[in-house]
Amino acid sequence: MASREMELSGLPQTGDPPRGPLSAILGRLIDPFRRGAPPEPRPPTGFFTDTTVCIGCKACEVACKAWNELAADGFHWSGNSYDNTETLSATSWRHVKFIEQFPADHSPSQPVPEAPKPSGTGFSLDVLLNETKEGRWLMMSDVCKHCVTAPCQQACPTGAIIHTEFENVFIQPDICNGCSSCIAACPFGVITRSNVDGHSHKCTLCYDRQRDGLVPACAKACPTQSIQFGPIDELRERAHSRVEELHSRGVTDAYLYGDTPSKSYSELNSFYLLVDRPSVYGLPNNPFNPWLHMKGDYVRAIVSGLTAIAALVTVLFLLGS
Amino acid sequence: MQTDSGLQTSLTLPSPSQGEGRVRGSSYATGPVTKAPAWHGLVAWDMLFNGMTTGLFLVAAISELVAPDVFTSVAKAAYPVALALLLVDLLYLVLDLGDPLRFHHMLRVFKPSSPMSLGTWCLTIYSLPLTVAAAISLLPAGWITLESVRRLAVVIGLLPALGSAVYKGVLLSTSSQLGWKDARWLGGYLTNSALILGCAEMFVLSVLMGHVRAAAILRPALGLLLVLNLIPLCLLLADLRTTLLRIYTHWELYGVGALSLGGGMLIPLCLLLVVDSSLFMLGAVMCILLGSLVIRFVIVKLPHASA
Repeated sequence: MASREMELSGLPQTGDPPRGPLSAILGRLIDPFRRGAPPEPRPPTGFFTDTTVCIGCKACEVACKAWNELAADGFHWSGNSYDNTETLSATSWRHVKFIEQFPADHSPSQPVPEAPKPSGTGFSLDVLLNETKEGRWLMMSDVCKHCVTAPCQQACPTGAIIHTEFENVFIQPDICNGCSSCIAACPFGVITRSNVDGHSHKCTLCYDRQRDGLVPACAKACPTQSIQFGPIDELRERAHSRVEELHSRGVTDAYLYGDTPSKSYSELNSFYLLVDRPSVYGLPNNPFNPWLHMKGDYVRAIVSGLTAIAALVTVLFLLGS
Repeated sequence: MQTDSGLQTSLTLPSPSQGEGRVRGSSYATGPVTKAPAWHGLVAWDMLFNGMTTGLFLVAAISELVAPDVFTSVAKAAYPVALALLLVDLLYLVLDLGDPLRFHHMLRVFKPSSPMSLGTWCLTIYSLPLTVAAAISLLPAGWITLESVRRLAVVIGLLPALGSAVYKGVLLSTSSQLGWKDARWLGGYLTNSALILGCAEMFVLSVLMGHVRAAAILRPALGLLLVLNLIPLCLLLADLRTTLLRIYTHWELYGVGALSLGGGMLIPLCLLLVVDSSLFMLGAVMCILLGSLVIRFVIVKLPHASA
């Protein structure tokens, strides 16, 4: 009897009523048009990623995959530093980038820099802090930028991409039909269409965790607080203080990317502290919202069409009457 | 603070020289930032059939309304053809989706901010009067009441047909993809091209149905549209000049230019103006179709070629 109870499929189901093929088809046709009550707005949240403290441990990538049950991507040696994830994809919603910056003339033919010698039983702190640095590593955990005015959301013809009550950009997986308009629109190359289900996927900013009052998995797992999560206003204040602190400590290159709007793009709810040009990190130097051109493009297309129609009407009228 | 790169940041961006000379090995700076959508040959064919159906309807409707004595019988044959072309176009649209069984999700919302949403709605609305006009056109003559319904359907269909022709170019130019994002005149070119395709189809129908007068009028009209289309095409090429030069060799560009401009425009124009033979006229129309297809393939492939 105990084993009988284990076989759930054999027990009478009392939840959903049985569905025949016709009702299944009807459901498939009608369900996407049903709307629930929109949730109450909540304080906007986001990520502040401080790249100066990222150590490239990839705990964020692993936590994201684990929580969201994202499939493995296989293993491929990219040859690009420690970055074998290579890009954000339908199954990688976090991507740690590694940038090696060393003198261009540093070649194996030159003498290998001497390692600091241990004094006594180990290295002294002074030796480690004052060692000569020939270059530097930049590391950055990339993710969806959750743009305040998101081109992907503007492009989506099905209404699958929405701003949640936390003002995060979210793709409703039961609505997306894989038209790829969002992929074409995103200036950061974040969204990818899955080869398995044919739908677009990207970071949800752990919408399910947020609704339950939890911190997103990547921020929770980050051991250095490079990824910080919280109310966006609070994060922006914290980010400004951090930049000022870095400046006072001599890191004058530090600046914030995407914390304020530009003429061509809105602010990002997932913004960064960088110490080199955005393009070095694979970010656009000057992101542009393609919708700024839309009205003009429509006008040009309509004017062209009407001009051709006017020419056609003229010929038809002159020769046809 | 507005920086030299246009990005507004709270602090100053590092100067370009700071990173240069320091980077060794692979770098994210050299690769494309955006991801190209999986839009390939199907989309090029979809764009062609979109132009063929909307263009044919527009030209047939305008011809019929301007000179009904000459064009009504040809237009009646054109509407069922336009409907068949629309069905092929819709098939391509559906097949190109990641999940074709969710095509109807396109009609969940009406979003003017999304050219694809606007286009889907325009195509849906356009399909209704087109179906009515095509169905009535196939009925035997003599039903005066139905004839007025057909005329009404034709008039109603004009605006959504134009919308369906217009949206395609704007869909691509309103994106962040290399090449497309700079193509300010893509919508203009594709709209004009749709009218050329429609005029060419009407011309073929007139020739095949033996309507000499209709063919004689459409011939100079087609020539004029071909010449007019040089304007948006040249403006489009000027928009895309930098991208094309970066991704294609000079010889490849000459090849594409010869096929699209020469084969798709100049040769048919010469044939239309100089030779007076039905066979050559049909050859001219085939050249227009081929040239239109080549240009659409080149445009659709731009982000992929850039990557």
